Amino acid sequence: MKKPLFKIRQYLLSGVSYAIPFVACGGILIAVAIAFAPMGPGGPDFSHSPFLKLILDIGSSAFSLLVPVLAGYIAFGMADRPALVPGFVGGAIANQVGAGFLGGLAAGLLAGLVVMLIKKVKVPFYFKPVMPILVIPVIATLVVGFIMFRVIGQPIHDLMAWLSSWLAVMGTGNRVILAAVLGAMIAFDMGGPVNKVAFFFGAAMIKEGNFAPMGACAAAICVPPLGLGLATVLGRRLWNQQDREAGYASLAMGMIGITEGAIPFAAADPLRVIPTIMFGSMIAAVIAMLGGVGDHAPHGGPIVLPVVDNRLVYILAITAGALAVALLINGLRKLTGSKT
Amino acid sequence: MKIVAVTACPTGIAHTYMAAEQLEKAARRLGHQIKVETQGAMGIENELSAEDINGAELVILAADITVQKRERFENLKTIEVGVQEAIKNPAALFSRPAG
Repeated sequence: MKKPLFKIRQYLLSGVSYAIPFVACGGILIAVAIAFAPMGPGGPDFSHSPFLKLILDIGSSAFSLLVPVLAGYIAFGMADRPALVPGFVGGAIANQVGAGFLGGLAAGLLAGLVVMLIKKVKVPFYFKPVMPILVIPVIATLVVGFIMFRVIGQPIHDLMAWLSSWLAVMGTGNRVILAAVLGAMIAFDMGGPVNKVAFFFGAAMIKEGNFAPMGACAAAICVPPLGLGLATVLGRRLWNQQDREAGYASLAMGMIGITEGAIPFAAADPLRVIPTIMFGSMIAAVIAMLGGVGDHAPHGGPIVLPVVDNRLVYILAITAGALAVALLINGLRKLTGSKT
Repeated sequence: MKIVAVTACPTGIAHTYMAAEQLEKAARRLGHQIKVETQGAMGIENELSAEDINGAELVILAADITVQKRERFENLKTIEVGVQEAIKNPAALFSRPAG
């Protein structure tokens, strides 16, 4: 179990586990603020509602901490407390140079690695107390900061910028492919690193003024929990008591756009559940993309309906995806047995 | 056998507690004494004290993320697995060689 891949996954997920509350809190506050503000020609208009603007600002503050927290706790998971400072600083730099989520992942891993290496250096006994709070953080932060600013920050930023300009001129065929890929990524690990890459891509595009990728993500995000919850309601005999209880929780989490609600099902039966929800999320994302759904908030699910363009298509996309998941998984369970 | 365990999953709202429950059930069935600490979204709950850990013959860490306060288990026989293994087949962990 000490395999390197298992370890790296564990480090990344440690960071993600601390970042999730920031995403949820920031995302929901931003969504609420935008939802209640009147829509102007250039997006939501806050000039007459200082209180909503305040909520938006609070939400944005929470959201802006996301990448530093992610990087900081990836590093923390790898090399414990001395790694917190270089991790957080690396994440803050990733924000600053526009390297975003990917930059944060890189910064966190880098900070953890550097601190691990420094910890291996043997130091004289009387020197030990100053290592964890002075020497390690200062040296590691310098190294990580230098690499982030001068080596990898810019290329990651360029990659993001290239992606957004590519998106702006993309034809229909490519847009369908993009939506399908985003949808599949969103469902694949239900809130894990792959999901977050797609999510942050959509969120970054909002900043660039392109709301379609987030629209596709928003529809895809809620399909796994809604679809599986729906499956337990439609096919009661195919699921045991425990599944049905998880189904209600899953429906509730789907409504507020928390893909993690699907995890209990996927954990119990990954081989059938994960391909099914990927399929459903792809359907939802593609319908949303083709129907011109745009999402102005970095969050998904029915809860963001007020800030979505082309609401009817959005509802249709989610319904189609969730139904596809429910029918497909129940069909599979009927054919291949409902044991997991 | 006296066992202590820690469970932790990334989101910390479902798997962490499912794994803890399965471990407790399996231990009870097989007549082992077990205490399971959960490191979920609420932080550390049912925390293992020094007294709990002292004299434990087996430590099970069922986690998809880094376990906090790991130094408590130094020099004890420790089994490390992902959270799902503890949910699916908890009893098998009790008789596994360390690693």
